[in-house]
Amino acid sequence: MSLTTLFVGLELQSPVIVASGPASHDVNQIGLAEEQRAGAVVLKTACSDKYEHMRYWPRPRYKLLDWDKQIEGRSKMFSLYSYEQGYSGTLTDYWRLIEACKQHATIPIIGSIFADDPKDWERMAINVERSGADAIELDISSPHRPGTSEFKTTFVEAIRSVVNVMKIPVLVKLAPGPELVHQCLTAEECGASAVTLCNRIRGFDVDIESQGPILHGYFAGIGGPWAKYYTFRHVAEAAQAIKIPISGTGGTMSGEDVIKYVLLGATTVQILSVILINGWESIARINKEVEEYLERKGLDSLEQIRGKALEAMTHPDEIIRWSGESKTGPRNVWKDKPEGRRTT
Amino acid sequence: MPPQNTKYPGLHPLPPPFVNEYPPIALVIEKKCIACDRCPPLCFYDAIVMEERPAHEYQRTAVVIPENCTGCGLCFEACPVDAFIWIPDKQQPGIHPKPSPPTAEDQDL
Repeated sequence: MSLTTLFVGLELQSPVIVASGPASHDVNQIGLAEEQRAGAVVLKTACSDKYEHMRYWPRPRYKLLDWDKQIEGRSKMFSLYSYEQGYSGTLTDYWRLIEACKQHATIPIIGSIFADDPKDWERMAINVERSGADAIELDISSPHRPGTSEFKTTFVEAIRSVVNVMKIPVLVKLAPGPELVHQCLTAEECGASAVTLCNRIRGFDVDIESQGPILHGYFAGIGGPWAKYYTFRHVAEAAQAIKIPISGTGGTMSGEDVIKYVLLGATTVQILSVILINGWESIARINKEVEEYLERKGLDSLEQIRGKALEAMTHPDEIIRWSGESKTGPRNVWKDKPEGRRTT
Repeated sequence: MPPQNTKYPGLHPLPPPFVNEYPPIALVIEKKCIACDRCPPLCFYDAIVMEERPAHEYQRTAVVIPENCTGCGLCFEACPVDAFIWIPDKQQPGIHPKPSPPTAEDQDL
């Protein structure tokens, strides 16, 4: 029995990958991830020079909404509302970060970039590859900038041009939404090696005392344990439409969630907010929970159950139905004064 | 100010008033701290430690290491007694990068 997972040609010791964000911003964090037996790390996204201002972070930038206030790895519910920005150094710093990570870590390092001009995408991707990254993720769906949730023509061109110049695998990170399956198909057609589903959604919250938006006034990325339910759906839809592997991400809190992603067809699972709120130990705990499941079910690897839940999915027309509410009786008799709900 | 009657006040929904001049960092009002140990594990930037204070009511207090604080606000969420405040980090120049034509010359590898 083993958690070893083959993903876009990389052999990972676990399907659990640290997602791009504050837990993959410096080289020491790669050591922590490795210690906890993470399969790989997607580094914090670097922005092109045009978005230089995104290398500076607003303060404060996190608000924990609906938090159950549990600490020491026990938190089960929260909504992380944040203005997470880009990698805080220059692009040169970023290439050096990748080099340093590759020097010190044995787990695969996945670079992550964001730009808008296809030339910038291409140039940054080439540098990520030259720095020694094992794969690259194109973050075309950041929730923090106007327009980035839209799958613009430039992004399609960007995927195509990056894929053309890359020898390493190219992952495309997509935003949730009604167009997602179409976007997955486009990414596949453009030659992407895998898709990452999904980026956090763009959310918003208002402070009723000051009667304005909370924090700094722009929409923010919002995620949390509840986010897994819409991502499960997107992964299930995408897995039935595309042949390239899927890296599921969103709301993973436990080994159970990882198993669900795999049952729906994902190959790897990216986690982040659970690390932020419940600590680095979450990675090892999730790995252990997945191993316990494999052992209990007598399975050798997750490969044996990949996509299994999809086989049991039903078309809505095939769902067995029964007659609805009866057409006669007290609920269909109108009275001038409703009697109200029965209390006994 | 919003009503302060909840058990965990958490982060004030708006940034501190000096946010346009100096970068905010967190500070613990040591007198208010009840040494509950909630904030150090939640700080993702290793910027909060517990220190011994023999004269303190609880003999210990949380302390923010200003050099590590990125002003993210997570500690405010962890504090059950509203012991965190924002202070301006006057060591850092007030920089306000706005979208501009690229000036940074980054070397390709």
